[in-house]
Amino acid sequence: MIRLENISKTYQTDKVETLALRDINLHVKKGEFVSIMGPSGCGKSTLLNLIGLLDRPGQGKIAVDGKEMKVWRDKELASFRNRTFGFIFQSFHLINDLRVIDNVELPLLYRSSSAKERRRLAEEALAKVGLSARIDHYPNQLSGGQQQRVAIARAMVGRPGVLLADEPTGNLDSRMGSEVMDIMLKLNHEGTTVVMVTHDEQQARQGGRIVRVFDGQLVA
Amino acid sequence: MLKNYFQIACKVYMRRKLFTAINLLCIVLTMVVLLVVTAILQTTFYPTGVEGKSERFLQTGTITQSSKNNTMRSPLGYKVIDQYLRKMKTVEKVAGVTGPESVSVYQKDSVNEIMMRRADAEYWQILDFKVLSGRVPVEDDVRLGRFVAVINESTAKKLFGHEAALGKKVNAGSQHFEIIGVVEDVMHLNAYADMWVPVTTFPSSQYRDQYTGDFTAMLMGKSAADLPLIKDELLQVVKQINADEPSHWEHTYLWADGKLDFFARNILSNDEVAGSGAAQLLAGVVLFMLLFMLLPALNLVNLNSGRIMERAAEIGVRKAFGASSRELVKQFVMENILLCLFGGVLGLIFTKLALIWLSNANLVPYMKVDLSFMVFVYGFAIAVVFGVFSGVIPAWKMSRLDPVLALKGTA
Repeated sequence: MIRLENISKTYQTDKVETLALRDINLHVKKGEFVSIMGPSGCGKSTLLNLIGLLDRPGQGKIAVDGKEMKVWRDKELASFRNRTFGFIFQSFHLINDLRVIDNVELPLLYRSSSAKERRRLAEEALAKVGLSARIDHYPNQLSGGQQQRVAIARAMVGRPGVLLADEPTGNLDSRMGSEVMDIMLKLNHEGTTVVMVTHDEQQARQGGRIVRVFDGQLVA
Repeated sequence: MLKNYFQIACKVYMRRKLFTAINLLCIVLTMVVLLVVTAILQTTFYPTGVEGKSERFLQTGTITQSSKNNTMRSPLGYKVIDQYLRKMKTVEKVAGVTGPESVSVYQKDSVNEIMMRRADAEYWQILDFKVLSGRVPVEDDVRLGRFVAVINESTAKKLFGHEAALGKKVNAGSQHFEIIGVVEDVMHLNAYADMWVPVTTFPSSQYRDQYTGDFTAMLMGKSAADLPLIKDELLQVVKQINADEPSHWEHTYLWADGKLDFFARNILSNDEVAGSGAAQLLAGVVLFMLLFMLLPALNLVNLNSGRIMERAAEIGVRKAFGASSRELVKQFVMENILLCLFGGVLGLIFTKLALIWLSNANLVPYMKVDLSFMVFVYGFAIAVVFGVFSGVIPAWKMSRLDPVLALKGTA
């Protein structure tokens, strides 16, 4: 499903060049739940961003669904990202000016679907995360856990093959964290590939395969 | 999609009320100035009101004659109109009218200065004066040299107060006229005056033999399609005038122009060339309008760019979920257009108020400029152009944000 070969990534800041990732080789199979772990600043999020095609590697190859990402135009890349990936962020990144239902509909705006169809799919996604009663609320009217569930609904509404989660429970208490984790595990059981960055060993174990990053390299 | 953009635009603008108010002020002020100018230009140059048939007529007002060392430029003499232009085959009607001249009207114990024109009978047939009472001069009034006059509504009030003006006598420039009609006040170029009398009431008949004088002619065709034919025929007529004219100038120039061309030729003094310079004049006006929009647009660009940081996370999220840079440019430009359209509506309302004020202030006599459908369309177009103009650069900058940095909030 996702194959990374000899990936390196450096960041140029002022006069200092920082090596974020070095010689990464990773294969994520379809339907897997992979947890990326490691200390802060080791390159976990960079790796997740590369997988999600939000960032480009300095060296190496990335292939998703057998398609190698080379020099893609912005429009092609955007469309591919829209169909393939759903993103969940630690700080939710919901748009506070939009209602819950409109936030969830967002990925569908960038593909050809009618307003009615968008509404139906968004309602379905919100029902799956147990927030049918909150569709007309605004994000700042919800608890952190509810906001992250909205973010999960947004990530899965377009039925992407891969869910990429960057510390999805990092800003939540343990009860809300488990609720979110349960939803992600359920989605994985339904066939969605999940790649999650986490600091929580227990949650990582729940997922299955654990990949550890240290100083920009895979260590296990 | 549009609903989503609309919702978020409204929220963003409501959240930053001061920013929105400054933006709107820029837009409204720009719109009001541009729309007032547009409304005045439209009333002046489009077939409206008393000059409703202007798409069917051309006007000629200046005869230019030159030899090696001399050039003479003068308003037309009546002889040119009567003996040359009236004989043209391509015209349906030819009217001759003098420019407005100031005359003193002695009425009871007061003296009023008013603007008077002398016109032939066709003048009243080509222009669509709204007659409030009585009638306008006819063929016989002119042919027989009757001392009859038409005055406008304001002059009637000024001279006679609330009394009926019809049948009253006025002493204008030591000539006595009987008022036979009262017409609505008008500002248009060919119609503007306080009082009109037949051309044949000149104290002397000398005007009939003059090639130069104080006249303007209107040449009306059966339809707008006749106008090029009239222009062509006039070129031949001018050759004849040049041959007949006793002063024997080497060249004589006389151009029949539409209203805009007539105005441009006079402003630019293009007396000896066929081109009136209207295209250059229009280009100049458009350039002026664009320059006028540039300053507030730059201000908006600056303010809009300031919003980038505030909305960086939203841009990151939209990119992550499949928005291309183009989509984002579209979104932000549309948000800006939306604000500009709202500003445009306010601009139209304030323009209407400004035009009412201008009419009442009497800065230009008899000015009645209103917001027509076309001005509304121009207003809409100006708002969209302004929106695109001031929105594209910040939108383009926003769309280029690196999604990773945008999501981190460090863009």
